[in-house]
Amino acid sequence: MLGLIQNEWMKIFRRPGTYVMIGLLLIMTTVAGAFIKYQESGGTVPDNSEWKKGLQTQNESYKKQLEEMGEMAPRDMKEQYQREIAINEYRIKNDISPNQEYSVWGFVSDTSQLIEFAGLFTIIIAGGIVASEFTWGTIKLLLIRPIKRVKILGAKYITVILFGLLVLAVLFGYSALLGGLLFGFPAEAFPYLYYYNGTVIEQSMGLHLIAYYGLKSINMLMLATMAFMISAVFRNSSLAIGLSLFLMFMGGQVTRLIAMKYDWAKYSLFANTDLLQYFEGMPMVHGMTIGFSIMMIFIYFLLFQVLAFYVFNKRDVSA
Amino acid sequence: MDTLVEIQDVTKVIKGRTIIDSVSFEVKKGEVFGFLGPNGAGKTTTIRMLVGLIGITSGDIKILGSSIKTDFEKAVSHIGAIVENPEMYKFLSGYQNLVHYARMSKGITREKIDETVELVGLADRIHDKVRTYSLGMRQRLGLAQCLLHDPKILILDEPTNGLDPAGIREIRDHLRMLAREREMAVIVSSHLLSEMEMMCDRIGIIQNGKLIDVQHISDFVQGKEKVYEVEVDDPRKANGILQGAHPGLPVQLTETSVILSLVREDIPEMIKVFVQEDMKIFAVREVTKTLEDRFLEVTEYKGGAGDARTDSK
Repeated sequence: MLGLIQNEWMKIFRRPGTYVMIGLLLIMTTVAGAFIKYQESGGTVPDNSEWKKGLQTQNESYKKQLEEMGEMAPRDMKEQYQREIAINEYRIKNDISPNQEYSVWGFVSDTSQLIEFAGLFTIIIAGGIVASEFTWGTIKLLLIRPIKRVKILGAKYITVILFGLLVLAVLFGYSALLGGLLFGFPAEAFPYLYYYNGTVIEQSMGLHLIAYYGLKSINMLMLATMAFMISAVFRNSSLAIGLSLFLMFMGGQVTRLIAMKYDWAKYSLFANTDLLQYFEGMPMVHGMTIGFSIMMIFIYFLLFQVLAFYVFNKRDVSA
Repeated sequence: MDTLVEIQDVTKVIKGRTIIDSVSFEVKKGEVFGFLGPNGAGKTTTIRMLVGLIGITSGDIKILGSSIKTDFEKAVSHIGAIVENPEMYKFLSGYQNLVHYARMSKGITREKIDETVELVGLADRIHDKVRTYSLGMRQRLGLAQCLLHDPKILILDEPTNGLDPAGIREIRDHLRMLAREREMAVIVSSHLLSEMEMMCDRIGIIQNGKLIDVQHISDFVQGKEKVYEVEVDDPRKANGILQGAHPGLPVQLTETSVILSLVREDIPEMIKVFVQEDMKIFAVREVTKTLEDRFLEVTEYKGGAGDARTDSK
């Protein structure tokens, strides 16, 4: 099995395209770093000693707005305000200023938007890994080895996941390094505050970012799994990559639209892949729980895998 | 001689259409078996079933006693194959390609790879990218790829497709050598008849999914009657004489000669008749039947399909 993964790894990294993708990611991070550095011009935050007062005024205006609107307020707006109020109160109580110096953590947090691109590159690899063997014609020589097809496909999937993790690690590592160089490592990191189940929880920034990366990458890995499934079932890398990218950019939006009207939107994959919604915002459909989402993700994962393995194992290779 | 490959009553049905219809044959140790048929007759399908690339609807294929259906890993470990063109990873070097395949079989050392490269004569270019290889070199790399794990059976689908005469000759010599020296069973498919004639010990002819004949190459080419070309001054007159003596005898006329099949003993009699009728005989030549003629005869006779002729060029 190790040899098979080694083989797949070699086939990915002996192609220049792979380096272009990783290079692009590094360039984008660098550009973001340079831009922020230039804009912040030194990255100093005005020392606002009156921040507690500011937060209080903010909370009051939130509460006022909520009262005014009463029952008219949309559900997500209400929850958004409640969350803001809770966090602001927590800040005042525990003396945690919202005005922090921009540091490496802020930068890593900002560049985590680039996870979308890490996802895109993983999808490209996942969409090609099976289909390319068919277009190159090498599938014939690959499948006449004394190794079961299931194992070959398994090795390919593991390689896709490893590649995804590598791209994430590169993004995280590089932005931490660059952020540290440009904005400095703070002596004491400010905690990150999040609001879950009506209470505010304090978390160290590093831990938060790792968790943030982890949760964000679920979406990416699920889409990569889907691209992999399409690749194995339809032997067409363009279809696999195109469809997965389309769903990556549009899936969430469309599901959100459907969710406004219909409850069944919660069974869509895209309503569930973003687990951050339980910590940072509110679930797409009222009444969804994190357990439900994990369950749905697991069901979709299983569905993709069963389809991919079943079709690949049964397929007559006659192209 | 022991049998290495047994194909037992194999049938393949795709979407209700029978592609291969109960084909059975065996291939023995040290033998080059040719698989001959027009395009679309089912050669490639049969070969793909042999190596497990496509499933078998009914029947079974046994490689050294292991079924390709139920014991795939064991059965296929005895096989080295090129199915159609040897497509390699073009962005890898020849050597990396071989390492790739070596990792997929058990116990192939670096020395073994080097030795195989030497055998197919690619040593000086093996570290170049496959993209830069000529078709002949790719074919040799393909051969190296299937010899890596010392298989007992070699299966090559159209191994000479697209090669120049030198390349064809090279492949042919390799195959004969492997069959002789390593006692491998070699299965080759082709629609190039002249090629098969030089390469194979036995051939099986497949048409419309049915195996219509399996023969030793020498028996196949030579029937009992031989064909003779008799060069005369007036072929029409000669034909008249022949038809007079044996009504209904199939005679072919050309500008300068008549062509007919005869038993050797009848030649003096024929000459005598011609001379008595005052004909001038310039030459009597034996026309050796090529595999091609014979192939056309067999396929037309048994299958009656006219499309065999168009494909046999």
